[in-house]
Amino acid sequence: MARFRRAAWLYRRFLGAHLRSTLEYEADFWIMSVAAVLAQGVGVIFLWAIFESIPEINGWQFWDIALIYALVVMSEGLSVLFAQGAWTMSFVVNLGGFDALLVRPFSPLLQVLSSQIGMNGLGNCALGAGLLIGAATHVDVDWSPATVALGLLLVVSAALVKVGLNTATNASAFWIKTPWSMFGFSMHTFGELARFPITIYGVGVRLALAVVLPYAFMSYFPASAVLSTGVAHWLGFLTPLVALYCLAMGAYVFRRGTLRYESTGT
Amino acid sequence: MTAADPVLPPRLPVPAVMRANRSMARTAFRSLVTHQVSFLFGLLATAFAALSMLYLWRAVLANGPVHGFDWPHMKAYLLLTFVASSLVSSYVDYRMAGRIREGDVAMDLVRPVGYQRARFVEALGFGVYELGTGLLVVVVAALAFGGVPGPAGGEALVFAASALLVFPLRFAVVYMSGLLVFWTQNYIGVQAGRIAVVTLCSGALVPIVFLPLWAQDVLAYLPFVGMAATPALVYVGHLTGSEAWRAVGVQAFWVVVLWGLGRAMWGAASRKLTVHGG
Amino acid sequence: MASITFFSDDAAVTLIEVAQLRKVFRRPDKRPGLAGSVRHLVERKFVDKVAVDDIDLRIDAGEAVAYVGPNGAGKSTTVKMLTGVLVPTSGTVHVEGRVPHKDRIANARRIGVVFGQRTQLWWDLPVRDSLELLRDMHGLSDAEYGRNLERLDATLGLAELLPSMARKLSLGQRMRADLAAALIHRPPIVFLDEPTIGLDIAVKDKVRAFARELVAEGTTVLLTTHDLGDIEDICKRIVIIDAGRIVYDGGIAAVLAEYARERTMHFALAQAPMSLAPIGARLPGAVVSEGPSASQVDVTFDPSVVSAGQVLVAVQSEVEVVDIRIDEPAIQDVVRRMYAGELRDAPREGPDAPP
Repeated sequence: MARFRRAAWLYRRFLGAHLRSTLEYEADFWIMSVAAVLAQGVGVIFLWAIFESIPEINGWQFWDIALIYALVVMSEGLSVLFAQGAWTMSFVVNLGGFDALLVRPFSPLLQVLSSQIGMNGLGNCALGAGLLIGAATHVDVDWSPATVALGLLLVVSAALVKVGLNTATNASAFWIKTPWSMFGFSMHTFGELARFPITIYGVGVRLALAVVLPYAFMSYFPASAVLSTGVAHWLGFLTPLVALYCLAMGAYVFRRGTLRYESTGT
Repeated sequence: MTAADPVLPPRLPVPAVMRANRSMARTAFRSLVTHQVSFLFGLLATAFAALSMLYLWRAVLANGPVHGFDWPHMKAYLLLTFVASSLVSSYVDYRMAGRIREGDVAMDLVRPVGYQRARFVEALGFGVYELGTGLLVVVVAALAFGGVPGPAGGEALVFAASALLVFPLRFAVVYMSGLLVFWTQNYIGVQAGRIAVVTLCSGALVPIVFLPLWAQDVLAYLPFVGMAATPALVYVGHLTGSEAWRAVGVQAFWVVVLWGLGRAMWGAASRKLTVHGG
Repeated sequence: MASITFFSDDAAVTLIEVAQLRKVFRRPDKRPGLAGSVRHLVERKFVDKVAVDDIDLRIDAGEAVAYVGPNGAGKSTTVKMLTGVLVPTSGTVHVEGRVPHKDRIANARRIGVVFGQRTQLWWDLPVRDSLELLRDMHGLSDAEYGRNLERLDATLGLAELLPSMARKLSLGQRMRADLAAALIHRPPIVFLDEPTIGLDIAVKDKVRAFARELVAEGTTVLLTTHDLGDIEDICKRIVIIDAGRIVYDGGIAAVLAEYARERTMHFALAQAPMSLAPIGARLPGAVVSEGPSASQVDVTFDPSVVSAGQVLVAVQSEVEVVDIRIDEPAIQDVVRRMYAGELRDAPREGPDAPP
């Protein structure tokens, strides 16, 4: 569809527009990248330290869990790189910047998402890619072109799940009218529970992670589909559909928010 | 969100200084309560973190104790390090960084209460809330996961000493990382990096005994373990007698050294400010 | 969506049609502090504020309408509903047959908006980059874009602003850049919401001259302001809104005549005059009175009969003047006089008679 292509082009254009001014803050870029790698790296060290002492958790071995981790890190990196703008929603909507977006001939949601390019996401992407390759070479999977293609599809879908959920939770900005995205942030930390096989959690938490806010489809389910282990691993093949669902949910909540927008705040 | 302290002339009589301190602490506490929504969600975020830790370790220890930790004692260890980790976890360095970047810090140079001491008092005010919410989360979590065992006997004194030293030690490290903003101008990255390093090295993520031996040896003498692990280990009985007192000694040593280092850093920073105009 | 056009007897095309438009803001009625918030979770009481109270409005193609009222009257709220930023609580809005908040993107292509207190520009980008992003959003060809830019540069002096970042511009510069941003795609309908607020007189004049040009080219313009000086020579029709209701909709001549009918100048003198009679003798028809203190004199006069300059000369010939002040005409006074029935409605289209 020509409209879709045009929207994609405009989205790239918007992302790129801020690239120059973002790159001016070179020192910032390095500090943020190092910090991101440190933060994720500590998690990997944590995992490794545990697995030095025990062989497996709920039937999952080190590289299996590393695969889950890799998906989380990769999704985080990609969503920071391409849709960091979601985190500016509280600021834009509640401090008066949103009006300008509403009178331009381009989707306000896409404008918000593309308003920032998170260069420090590259650090996460690098670490995530490294972990993915490491996991891929160590896990018990027959890699053929088909499975690799499936793997890549799942990686992209996982990232889109994150983007969709970031959008939906940050759209709370239309209801919780503070300039800080605290609701979105707290839901993000909830999503961090998806770093581990969800079988370690109680039923309530599992349902929340799989159905209510499907963060588990960002990591656990796609990983279990690839590894053919875990509970109902075939669910992982639904990840692309869940990604579409999350994106649609994000767009829906955002649209509902736009309709009740009151344009207060200078 | 700035405390509206008037700029006072130097050398105040003691009661006035005490009043200035108390009002700073109160303002810090109050500014948080007014942002109630943020406060609740921040609390929720930390609760999720605690939740995931507890579930994970329960699964890890499902097949029996590891490195001397069984599940009940691990629960106690995790909850105690959680409370410790939530102290001085926000506000002070965030506000410091904000004021440094905005240039308001020049005002702080002329205040009668020393900069470092002032930040400490602020942190205390905020620390009341942090302790309260941390304990709240811990109590709920403990109940949800079937309770925690009581403290190991006979170490009450060393436990108290160790616990009391956690706050000033944490403050010293956070204060110094906040001062780094004078040089890096970037705050969020520095904070994220600090949190990552401190969380791992203080034993809040995994008990130090799980790490390789060479790491354990090094970390035992660094300030980080005293920021969370030491009192928790005393509580679960892994640190006893003279070993425990030695660990407390390391804590105390670092409090003094880092406080001094912090002063030196502040001196360098304020020189940079006055000479180069920040 | 094709635009629907309405033809009146005069074969004028109605572009903007507003009927029974209403906007109500709902605010939680709670006491401050933690206790109040908790209580509100249970009691859920709200206070309704009616910002726009059932207004009707029709604007034809090519019209230049001034939309005027005191602070808080509902002007900006109306414009936000006309541009699709706010969704009405009830009533209808149609711009070229479209409902702005439903066909937002199609509508955005046909309108240009300047919000006086907020900027359309990207804060951390040079003005040139902002304009190029707008060019791409509107799908302008390079030729069109170049032509439009040149035109805007001629009136606004845009060229000198292009390389600067929006956050480094002064208020006056930013307003000029914002006008360019709003009009880079040559929209047929333009909304100027408080475009001169906070500007110094030199820039105000530039903005007013620009608006005059827009009108001369046939653009449909809705100009909201609480400064009556903005609309002289630009608009022929004025709509006055007060407390959410339209109180006047008609020709501007009657309103300006009314508001310009009386001016007051305040003089501070070197010393208290012996008598005010000599000044009064030089200004027949004017009212000369003592000000708040003995060494201050106020002169109230009709500017169409005697000019401010003449008043000054008259006063100075009798006494030594230290300082002068002339009262700015206020829209509040006009509104007050409206309510007092002093202002008769001139022929207009359709809105309710004043209360």
